[in-house]
Amino acid sequence: MVALLAVLHVVSSIPTLGSLAKEVGKDRIEVESLGKGYQDPHFVEPKPSLMLVLNRADLLLHVGLELEIGWLPPLVLGSRNAKIQPGELGNLDCSRAIPVLDVPTTKVDRSMGDIHPQGNPHYWLPPGNARIIAREIAQRLAQLDPDGKAEYEKNLSAFEAKVDAKSKDWTALAAKLKGVKVATYHKSWSYMSQWLGLEEIGYVEPKPGIPPDPQHLSRLIAAMKQDGAKLLLMEDFYNKSVATLVAGKAGAKLLDLPTDVGARPEIKDWFTLVDTVVKTLSSAV
Amino acid sequence: MKLALLLLALAGPAAAQQADAGVQDKELQKELEKAIQADKAAAQQQGQGQGQAAPAAPPAATTASTGGAPQTLFRGAQSLNPDFSVILDGNFGYQRRAPQYLSGDDPDLHAQDTQHALGFAVQEVELAFSAIVDPYFKGEVYLTIPNLDGIEVEEAFATTTSLPWNLQIKAGSFRGAFGRQNGQHLHVQDFTRRPLINAAFLGADGMRGPGVQVSWLSPLPFYLTLSGEAFSLSGGPADQSGPIPQPVPSFGADQSTHPTLATEAKAFFPLGDAWSFFWGLSFASGRSPGMLLAGGTPSGAGRDSQLYGTDVYLKWKPPNVAQGYESLALQAEFILRRLSSGDGIDGEWDGGGYAQIVAQFARRWFLGLRGDIVGVPSSSVLARTERIGASLTFQASEFSRIRAYLEAEHAGGMSALLPQAMPDWAPAAFLQLEYSIGAHGAHPY
Repeated sequence: MVALLAVLHVVSSIPTLGSLAKEVGKDRIEVESLGKGYQDPHFVEPKPSLMLVLNRADLLLHVGLELEIGWLPPLVLGSRNAKIQPGELGNLDCSRAIPVLDVPTTKVDRSMGDIHPQGNPHYWLPPGNARIIAREIAQRLAQLDPDGKAEYEKNLSAFEAKVDAKSKDWTALAAKLKGVKVATYHKSWSYMSQWLGLEEIGYVEPKPGIPPDPQHLSRLIAAMKQDGAKLLLMEDFYNKSVATLVAGKAGAKLLDLPTDVGARPEIKDWFTLVDTVVKTLSSAV
Repeated sequence: MKLALLLLALAGPAAAQQADAGVQDKELQKELEKAIQADKAAAQQQGQGQGQAAPAAPPAATTASTGGAPQTLFRGAQSLNPDFSVILDGNFGYQRRAPQYLSGDDPDLHAQDTQHALGFAVQEVELAFSAIVDPYFKGEVYLTIPNLDGIEVEEAFATTTSLPWNLQIKAGSFRGAFGRQNGQHLHVQDFTRRPLINAAFLGADGMRGPGVQVSWLSPLPFYLTLSGEAFSLSGGPADQSGPIPQPVPSFGADQSTHPTLATEAKAFFPLGDAWSFFWGLSFASGRSPGMLLAGGTPSGAGRDSQLYGTDVYLKWKPPNVAQGYESLALQAEFILRRLSSGDGIDGEWDGGGYAQIVAQFARRWFLGLRGDIVGVPSSSVLARTERIGASLTFQASEFSRIRAYLEAEHAGGMSALLPQAMPDWAPAAFLQLEYSIGAHGAHPY
């Protein structure tokens, strides 16, 4: 068989999943993302042009856990692409093997805000989870393109080795973050906090997706002062005005962090993404 | 059932063909297709056609994760029930007189023809069910109770998910693809009342009913879809015995012999990250049931009726809110109607349209302005009506909103046959509460 360029066309809901796919697919796949790295992944505009992108896909990678529930399903249906419909091989929910955090244990309703009943979907930063995602993707690519199986496995091993090597650096850098008390804007840092040992003491959003009111903010500022929380973590696609005020009043530092590949022009893959986040965090304490 | 089997026969091999990108060998593919066809034929001979047809889908699609999924047990209750949600629209409002061209899901305060009304209305209760039926269809059912006036099927249809050649078929009863607002449910509208063109040209409940739609996504480098539809629409003549002119249906006469046909082209152009432009051209053709004049004299039944429409949607919304939450959307639709001569009435053209602008000026606040006109340049079946409306919407969350809506309707030049609404200027005001409970909805652009 002739060696082919880009056997599979992979489309991801957020750029990071595409970046992880590229690590294991290399030249056998080409990758395109629906959302941009500087966009809130909950609220991508479901532009019909994205149906066209999905129409050409052999494999759709999505975060799952209802992160994209408000915009992805009509695009997938409208793509008229049988290969990527739910339940088909070309549709991979990347959360399948993730040990999910913040799964509600009591009955939920939307008085709790726009909660995710299946657990927290912001899982793609920690190395352990990236390894799981990459393995899922490699297996799926091998099912879709059996000729490339050996190559995907080889690339996966190389990726895992690189992750392990980088993890050592990151762990060393982040050692001083253990036990550091932080507040965050959205409840989207659970997986990073678990990995780095950060202690979350409060959130700018009183409930997921609900904008803050003054009472909540004054309670948060008081709690940050009392607990000595010196950092306020926020994704860089949110509006900064409220968070800047809270950080200022609480005597904390506002960290405007990327959470997706492409959030800034220099963040070109998952490694530079995690590198930026860990370095920013560790240099802030 | 025959249709389903036909679709299965189409979809089965196509899906198998597309799913394995790794199968490069054309001959092998042909052989596999032949084997699948042979299996099907054998199964049908044994009288097990239905049971055996389904596995024609790629068997690997159901393969479970081999990555180890320790969390699957506590990921919330798994269920095969459809997604279910309920949407409520309630109003407190005032109307100077009964409005002309009331759409079915407009709030009805039961204003008398020349007397005002003040009070409450439950504009709509909608029950929505949706689920993937099987590897071939998605099913959606929307039941509606407009103005507490009995339950109706707003839509109930299946959409194919696995047809080849970029085709999709929708079958059942559904809102037709004609312009922008006709396909939309009440709760995605930006104003409390639908545009006047809805009731004036498409029908009080819009152009909706039992039918079939075939649509095709073109392989061009920009988004372009073409669709064709056939409906069996029903409708009687408009009763013009009162002092408020009723909308004369464009379609619905001779239901059993004359299906209503419609076709539409939609093109979308992303203009950078923040701007986008959506454009549609629509055409529909049917037969009008005409109207009953005062005294019960029928007029204009059976005239051929054609609608020509165009709609534009221009939106500005930056991809993130780091700089602010502002957005802007401009939307306009225009319809021209050709009514043939018949029943002693000459052939004629009439038309109408609306234009609206909606600005999001803060995270949860939207301000909208809209202007409507129908019955231009003149019409024997449509009273010239102009309306201006403004809405201020507070969106508490993705699941609830409160809207203040003001309008002033002007009943202008009447045709000789139609009653004259009095007073000719009629203001109205509504305070609307809307919520959605249940499954998280997702709306098309």
